Amino acid sequence: MKTLKLYLRLTLSFLAIASAQADSDSEIRIGSKKFTESVILSEVITQHLQNKGLTAAHKDQLGGTRLLWKALLQGELDIYPDYTGTIIYEILQGEGISSDADIKAALARQGVSMTDPLGFNNTYALGVTPSTARKFSLENISDLRQHPGLRFGFTNEFMDREDGWPSLRDHYQLPQTTVRGLDHDLAYKGLEAGSIDLIDLYSTDAEIAYYQLNVLEDDASYFPDYRAVILYRTDLIDRDPKIQSYLTQLGGIISETEMIKMNSDVKLDGRSEAEVAQSFLKVKFNTLSKIEVSTRLDRLISTTSEHLFLVCLSLGAAILVAIPLGIWGARNSTLGQVILSSVGIIQTIPSLALLVFMIPLLGIGGPPALVALFLYSLLPIVRNTLSGLTGLPIDVQESAHALGLPASARLRLIELPLAARSILAGIKTSAVINVGTATLGALIGAGGYGQPILTGIRLDDTSLILEGAIPAAVLALLVQWSFDFVERTLLSPGLQIKQESNS
Amino acid sequence: MIQLRDISKSFNGNEVIHDLSLEIPQGKTVVLIGPSGCGKSTLLRLMVGLLWPEKGNISLFQENLSKDNVEKLRQQVGFVLQDGGLFPHMTAVQNMRLMADYLDHDPQKTEQRIAELCELTHISADMLKRYPSELSGGQVQRVALMRALMLDPQILFLDEPLGALDPLNRVSLQEEMKTIFSQLGKTVVLVTHDMGEAASLADLIVIMKDGYLLQYDTLSKLSSQPADPFVTEFINAQRKPWQRLEDQIK
Repeated sequence: MKTLKLYLRLTLSFLAIASAQADSDSEIRIGSKKFTESVILSEVITQHLQNKGLTAAHKDQLGGTRLLWKALLQGELDIYPDYTGTIIYEILQGEGISSDADIKAALARQGVSMTDPLGFNNTYALGVTPSTARKFSLENISDLRQHPGLRFGFTNEFMDREDGWPSLRDHYQLPQTTVRGLDHDLAYKGLEAGSIDLIDLYSTDAEIAYYQLNVLEDDASYFPDYRAVILYRTDLIDRDPKIQSYLTQLGGIISETEMIKMNSDVKLDGRSEAEVAQSFLKVKFNTLSKIEVSTRLDRLISTTSEHLFLVCLSLGAAILVAIPLGIWGARNSTLGQVILSSVGIIQTIPSLALLVFMIPLLGIGGPPALVALFLYSLLPIVRNTLSGLTGLPIDVQESAHALGLPASARLRLIELPLAARSILAGIKTSAVINVGTATLGALIGAGGYGQPILTGIRLDDTSLILEGAIPAAVLALLVQWSFDFVERTLLSPGLQIKQESNS
Repeated sequence: MIQLRDISKSFNGNEVIHDLSLEIPQGKTVVLIGPSGCGKSTLLRLMVGLLWPEKGNISLFQENLSKDNVEKLRQQVGFVLQDGGLFPHMTAVQNMRLMADYLDHDPQKTEQRIAELCELTHISADMLKRYPSELSGGQVQRVALMRALMLDPQILFLDEPLGALDPLNRVSLQEEMKTIFSQLGKTVVLVTHDMGEAASLADLIVIMKDGYLLQYDTLSKLSSQPADPFVTEFINAQRKPWQRLEDQIK
């Protein structure tokens, strides 16, 4: 009974910590997609609002359009920048909208407002290296029809957007079949290395000039305008009516040249988005926003604490749930099969998909990542608890019965201690997997070691990637070692002697 | 002391005990013997409720064995398995005192009882600090016997307690057990397939074959008045080699 109470209390406190994390305060949350321009724009918006004395926080590089749009509708985010073409073809797809007024009306029906364009147009374009352009004499997109063998590499979002590859292909009657989806920041590398011949570009990408790429002319006027705008929840005005005017101040102030320059400052010169945004705002508004310059150590401390938070909480909850499930399953083989296959099915859902499934339920940030990690941690623990208990030698099980111990005492005194090695091994497996999977949490704003990895990939900065990858590997090793230690101290010497003489 | 009335038991539709009745008197050592698969171990497990019969009933101490009282009744009997069945994560002494501690017995009395049992089985208190994996086969069986005797049960069940031992250990532990049983005066039910063991330990012998009880009697009656040709066959087959040699010379 005492154990049960302690167990319940532990479970409750885990839930309490998790939900405290979910509690939102009154800060204004600005999101950005996981490409540099979006991060810079959101940084500009965030600093601008902060300069006006508001509490604003930038949830950076969260993912793609759908994820941010969902988060905005859910109220997980209050503001994020997007592009008119994307809004028409991706968010409001199929509604047959063309004018800004139509967009505004359609968005308003969902409780979202849109500012006037920020100034520049960042359209999609297709780019090739100068040598490819010369070799196949490519100038226009329609020239591609003559060269079906060209290998295309497109961002995953472009691959299945309504304004993306499928309708571009139809529009231009393009014959190419070798089309791969890949990360935009890696696409430039692939192009340079010659493993692909053509990629999609954002016309304000700094790399276009850097790699001296040839941009193919959209001669059949396929691509729409992608003018940058700010989307915000209309109810934001209820919180502070002035926010609308602050956001309006940003209308029309960023020219295409300025945007390319800012992208280049970050991606090619290695300045931080915050610095670049600060310089921009200083020029435009003569304000000096306060930005935190974080050292590598600061970042390491904060990513470590975020990562540990994710791992410890999700693993702790998984242990508390999975061991009883395993015990329950061991008592009844039919039930055991049902439990094992249910947690097994969860395991087959790709981790990224599981994270995204969680967003409608739990928003972005810590909670969805915690729940996803928790679900992933169940299988190894359940399976090992179940097999540890059902695999006990018959003579031991018989003598536990024959002594006259009731079921609860058998479990506590005999069965669990004997299955401890197997259960611990399950927890260890879960923990190591958890440390690795938690890096994906950064994709939905949960932070952790995935954050520098994600930023590093985006900025093509190996040292930043290592800043996340090395601690993650070290943490996995530490987890492994600490479980070996726990095993040595917790496991009865009687079982360890047996192990040694067997080996 | 122990009564079985019209017991039948099946595994997966195969009946392995057929309508068997048996009464075991207080203070006697009764050996269940027969060839492999005759149902002797099954019968023993039925007596402590490790298995349940489809038909018939079993009583211990004049009380009908049921799922409601099985735990209480088991605490009044001792059980020793072929491999000892010691819990590998506990030392020998922890194994012994597990039930006493679980039932909140006076620790001082428990210590005293352990000392008595050490004397009875010739095991040193030092030896008891070891884990089962550090003990020899004979020591494991002694500890298992001590664990079974810990709560001073009225009945002792043993399932081939010497089966896993080498011949030398077997003989010496058999002699010891004989002394112990006679000293304690408990009701003992022992399963074996070794006629020599039965002859040495038993007051009464139950000969079983294919789930039937063929004869239940003293050794001399089994020999002089066999109820079935198989009884004679079984006794003779198990005679010591030198006895068979003697027969041939005659």
